[in-house]
Amino acid sequence: MSYKIAVGSLDGTNVDLKFGEVESFRIYEVNGTESTFLEFRSITGKESPAGASSAECGLAAGCDSGSCSGNGGGCGGPSEVVDRVSKISDCRCLVCKKVGFQAQKQLERKAIAVFDVDCEVAEALSKITVYYDKLDHNQSLRSRKN
Amino acid sequence: MAKLLDKQRYKCALGAMQTVQAIERALPVLHSGPGCAQKLSESTGSSGYFSPNIFPCTSINEKDVVFGGAKKLHSTIENALKVIDADLYVVLTGCIPEIVGDDTGEVVSEFADADKPVIYAPTAGFKGNNYKGHEQVVDAIIDQYLKKSETKQKGLINIWADVPYQDLFWLGNIRELEKLIAELGLTPNTIFGFQRGIKNINKIPEAEYNLLVSPWVGLCNMKKMERKFGIPYLHYPTLPIGATETSKFLREVGKFAGVDEEKVESVIKKHEDYYYYLIERYADLFLENRVINKQFTVVSDAQYTLGITKFLVNDLGLLPAKQFIVDDTPKAYREKITEEFKKLNYGIEAEVSFETDGYKIHEEIKAHDYHGYPLVLGGYYEKEVTQNLKGNFLNISWPVQDKVVFDDFYVGYTGGIRLIEDIYTIAVQRFN
Repeated sequence: MSYKIAVGSLDGTNVDLKFGEVESFRIYEVNGTESTFLEFRSITGKESPAGASSAECGLAAGCDSGSCSGNGGGCGGPSEVVDRVSKISDCRCLVCKKVGFQAQKQLERKAIAVFDVDCEVAEALSKITVYYDKLDHNQSLRSRKN
Repeated sequence: MAKLLDKQRYKCALGAMQTVQAIERALPVLHSGPGCAQKLSESTGSSGYFSPNIFPCTSINEKDVVFGGAKKLHSTIENALKVIDADLYVVLTGCIPEIVGDDTGEVVSEFADADKPVIYAPTAGFKGNNYKGHEQVVDAIIDQYLKKSETKQKGLINIWADVPYQDLFWLGNIRELEKLIAELGLTPNTIFGFQRGIKNINKIPEAEYNLLVSPWVGLCNMKKMERKFGIPYLHYPTLPIGATETSKFLREVGKFAGVDEEKVESVIKKHEDYYYYLIERYADLFLENRVINKQFTVVSDAQYTLGITKFLVNDLGLLPAKQFIVDDTPKAYREKITEEFKKLNYGIEAEVSFETDGYKIHEEIKAHDYHGYPLVLGGYYEKEVTQNLKGNFLNISWPVQDKVVFDDFYVGYTGGIRLIEDIYTIAVQRFN
């Protein structure tokens, strides 16, 4: 069965964007261990009304309380995080250079795995797809070295 | 077919973090998932300067499974060296990094020039239990930290016993063994417990002899030290409890280390005189009580099952029912240990079973006719089954819920008296 992976990359070669910096996620579709580029998904989070995203994340009072303040540049607050997450909610995992704590929690709620890595996109995709392929086929993760 | 193991009495090899903790100012650095240390830690005297809650841990997660955890391990060791003041850093690997193939040795070797020694021991749970993990830690110290010494210190003897923390009485036992050996005129050297630590580890290669008091745990370490440092070892398989075995033990150590026979006998006489003075004073308690009957069962690791069986038969004149060894003793050692159970006084032999499944052990205890109240010495798991049989129960080995032990001990002459005290305290409480 195929699934999707969201990648934060500006140049398309390296995983070079933090989650909050991504303006457009690269979505890859994976079949077995073969991944193909599917589409770009743009973020329009800043325009989205705060009320709507509060309801979406299920934290009626908590979302706009500024509880994620101080988690670095790029994050415009919880509502923006929720909006970003909702853009990739059909993906199995997210690959970015860095992912903040708030964002990780929101992704966890949607059962989206987080890989915050600093490497090439191709390398990340190949490692992740091999991993998921083994998981899906109940194969051991044992390395051949051992 | 998958097997269920009921009431196991040991932990995974990563439980060896307790072995490291027993070395003063040695710090385990865990390369494992975040829950491992939490699950393996206990509140049996494990708080203090370093405790399981502050052990540095890579807390590896899914990302590290996919991309490898080497980088994280490197930064964890690097920062542990910066912020935690220890004498020895021992990296212990859990199951996950070993399955996915992180090269821990390679990462640790990058710290060869660090101010403090950093070593590593592979302690993945699938490689064995914490008895094996203990051996791995000692192996790591021998292989990666110690070097052969050109000079030997006359009369210096390293003493090795069973696994710290897993053995409730580890601290008291090793101190009492030290005391007995010192009385023979030898200089004992141990690495576990108060004020031993790195300075005593450094002395290991200078020793003339190694003494291992354990049925099997640590035997491979002794062989390794014999090869690497040229230190001959004496393997004394029985934990000496009470006069019969302790005197035998002292004679054997004396012979091995070339101690004057007269000296050995004078030490033995001094202790035996006092020991039998005490026994004599309480002889009526032994003879007239109707509570501690003839038959007993020990459910424990190899050292206590063997040591206590010999003590209760040879010193107290009880008869063994079936004995159980629950530490998953490697098959290679089993025959020799079984032989030891046949070397009891008065030609008595004890039947012993290497069984890790608590359910099967309990079924056998229930089915046996003890000719009166059974006396069962074991882990806390045996409490209920003994109570149902209206028997007498003493909690002597892991898991321990019934007893607080700081530095009490069962080894030696005094240890034998302590064990008698504990058993008969249970007996006299029966009708209170």
